[in-house]
Amino acid sequence: MKALKTVGRRPKRLDAEAKVKGELIYPSDRNLENMLWVEVVRSAHPHARIRSIDTGAAEAAGGVVRVLTAKDVPGENAFGIQIQDMPVLCHDRVRYMGDAVALVAAESRAAAREAAGLVQVDYEVLEPITDPEFAMRPDAPALHPGGNILHQGHFKKGDVEAGFEKSAVIVERSYQVPMMDHAFLETEAGVSYYGEDGLLTVESCGQYVYRDQTQIARALGLPLDQIRVTAPFMGGAFGGKDEITVQIHLALVTWHTKRPAKMVASRDESIVSHTKRHPAWMWYKTGASKSGKLLAVHCRFISDTGAYASLGGPVLNLMMEHCAGPYLVPNVWVDGYAVYTNNGFSGAFRGFGCTQACVAIESQMDLMARALKRDPLAFRRANVLHQGDRAALDYEMKTKVGAEPTIRAAQKGKLYRQRGKIKRDRSGHSRSVAPHIKRGVGVASQMQGLGLGVGLPDYAEVELNYSPDGRVTVRASTNELGQGACTAYAQMAAECLGVPLGKVKVVLADTATTPDSGTTTASRTTYAVGNAIMMAAEKIRAELASKGVGLEGISVRETFHIPVADQELGEGLPHLLYSYGTHVVLVEVNTLTGETEVLAVEAYLDGGRVIFKTGFEGQSEGGVAQGIGYALFEEVLLDGGRFLNTNFNTYILPTSLDVPADIRTVPVEVREASGPFGAKGISETCMVGVTPAVLNALQDAIGVRFLKIPVRAEDVLRALQEHRG
Amino acid sequence: MKVTVRMKINGAEALFEVEATERLVDTLRDKAGLTGTKFGCGIGECGACSVLLNGKVVSSCLVLTVQADGAEVTTVEGLARQGKLSDLQEAFVAEGAIQCGYCTPGMLMAAESLLSRYQRPTTEQIREGISGNLCRCTGYTKIVSAIRKTARRRAIRRSGR
Repeated sequence: MKALKTVGRRPKRLDAEAKVKGELIYPSDRNLENMLWVEVVRSAHPHARIRSIDTGAAEAAGGVVRVLTAKDVPGENAFGIQIQDMPVLCHDRVRYMGDAVALVAAESRAAAREAAGLVQVDYEVLEPITDPEFAMRPDAPALHPGGNILHQGHFKKGDVEAGFEKSAVIVERSYQVPMMDHAFLETEAGVSYYGEDGLLTVESCGQYVYRDQTQIARALGLPLDQIRVTAPFMGGAFGGKDEITVQIHLALVTWHTKRPAKMVASRDESIVSHTKRHPAWMWYKTGASKSGKLLAVHCRFISDTGAYASLGGPVLNLMMEHCAGPYLVPNVWVDGYAVYTNNGFSGAFRGFGCTQACVAIESQMDLMARALKRDPLAFRRANVLHQGDRAALDYEMKTKVGAEPTIRAAQKGKLYRQRGKIKRDRSGHSRSVAPHIKRGVGVASQMQGLGLGVGLPDYAEVELNYSPDGRVTVRASTNELGQGACTAYAQMAAECLGVPLGKVKVVLADTATTPDSGTTTASRTTYAVGNAIMMAAEKIRAELASKGVGLEGISVRETFHIPVADQELGEGLPHLLYSYGTHVVLVEVNTLTGETEVLAVEAYLDGGRVIFKTGFEGQSEGGVAQGIGYALFEEVLLDGGRFLNTNFNTYILPTSLDVPADIRTVPVEVREASGPFGAKGISETCMVGVTPAVLNALQDAIGVRFLKIPVRAEDVLRALQEHRG
Repeated sequence: MKVTVRMKINGAEALFEVEATERLVDTLRDKAGLTGTKFGCGIGECGACSVLLNGKVVSSCLVLTVQADGAEVTTVEGLARQGKLSDLQEAFVAEGAIQCGYCTPGMLMAAESLLSRYQRPTTEQIREGISGNLCRCTGYTKIVSAIRKTARRRAIRRSGR
């Protein structure tokens, strides 16, 4: 292949200048003439029956134009990506604190807020179901007609008991991971209006405009072609804007009032209402031989999906698929349950189930390495999956496996090679090491399915326009969430068509002007959209060669289908393609205060060939921050289904002082044959391994194994006291 | 009760009739149309609404508009001159210190304030200086390096005089 001009380099982000000037218009920045402000009346209880709703006082309040309840939903009063079990507006029952009961549309936000407080809902309060194990019992009150078990999976490969019998080391532990908020900096927001084309238009923040269009159409009982949805840019998402948030409510208000409408969630409302990372309970028993070979993994997951399905089933499927990490294990037994409760509402979030499983399996790997007195990376490497091996759920790894190359690269890295010295050294990292300061180095290795997996439609259609003056426009319906995909798209188009990057424009996420490129999730867009761009560019090149550009220019649409595994084990299960990563983390623990500081991180990531280098590193660095947050700070606290911490004074995010200045991202480019220029994706792998690497570093530092995250200063202090006592 | 408030925003005189309880962030976004200043939490925790008030960085969600009467306010829209990016903005672009970009305006204002306090800030001073501004995308790494490079270039420029 000839030398690449822009792929793999560090161009300026296409959207950087508009963002740095404050000129880019985000969903919450849109204001329209004659627009109404919409506020949602949300449930007052985590679980209750609605006896009646009295909107009289709210309707009579100053500035109020319309109050809507369930009876005003003209179509199907239900939505959900997979199962439509969530009401647009509740009419008989509420199942979590974020449930929407009524909408108030008023001339000002203040008027809408005030009137929202005047909607009288008569509730018959029900006992909230907050313990998933209780919820699973046959005698537990059912939150949905099919009972409380949304989804379960059971897989066996080989014979785990035989594996344990042969094991020299058996480690059995139970892990608990918390509900986590995406904390995208821009809350859910959008506007709706009737466009000049007559379409009911919603400009919003969802991660898949075509699916949002379908969900709006179903709820409003309208044909798809009367609805337009756009969402090119937003202030972060991380999976938390994958499910419907404001879209149907906005459309409903505009449909009823024929006026433009605007919604912006407050931070408290955002944390209460949108999906979260599933809290999970994970029991693991793993065994390895004296020579350090993994022989058996037996595990059981209970994932608390909260009030509604959203993607709770597929998240559990990925948890099970990734239960044994990137390792070859002859005997596997995994049982998983995703359970409805009244604990908020969980769904997609970076890592999508792998995040939870990785915390457990990578802790187990460390404990086994310790018990066998083996080097933690060498132990992992000795057990790593290779192409052609059979994965945990007994399917063949058919594409290139980058796990070993990332481990090998980590072994050669400075942090790992010099870990003994760095732990003792008083000068290696900024401050001196006093006796109460303990340092530790931890590692974790991970794989992450790319795309939605087998059985789900997973394609990307792209339009490429080549104008007579040599300018190129890429049209794709994915969003720019911050990940840098639009720049990567432009780079790939420029490279394929041999035009300078400056000649390429990217138009995103508009059902009226961009073809259906699928979801902006599952580490899939660079790979899927990139492939479609390459296919379209090929056709343009052929046409340029045969006929030339002509006066009209050339316009081509192409669709790429993500290849899938040839066997189906469940919805989205398994994957054919994976990204891989190994993280090495240095922590410092103050044994007097219990505070943990992450001093340095090395990230060895295989996302295939890197397209946009700055974006790749940026994703990695942000993933490190989120992984540290999950390990040390972040937890949505609930008491009896009621949220306790709903803003950033109590839901603690990592600041610039909590994330190390020293993050080194090393691309380990195992080129994927089916990828555009050999690329895969990186947006999840970059975060998932960080959390268990921090836990493993903590054990290295203070000799304590934490089984529950987040590990806060008080947890460290308590553990140290118990450890000493 | 409506109050008349005068202020200078990015060098231009502005006059608003506001409720005494109105927050500066809302005046800037809704009345002045300066939506570069973002809204993230409403309680001064995230820094997305950071602006300079008489040269000092403040969370504009915690400032009442009446408190800014007679003040000079600088927002992100005031950083570029005739459409030309400031050196700090250029550094953010060049370093890739931007992802979703929602924290960027507030981050730039915090950085300007920091650079006015320290001519040659250390990495620790930079991390401290932006610790009131949350970013969920970048891990802060490239933001810190953009600020460090800007400080270095400004120091060189000063010494060259």
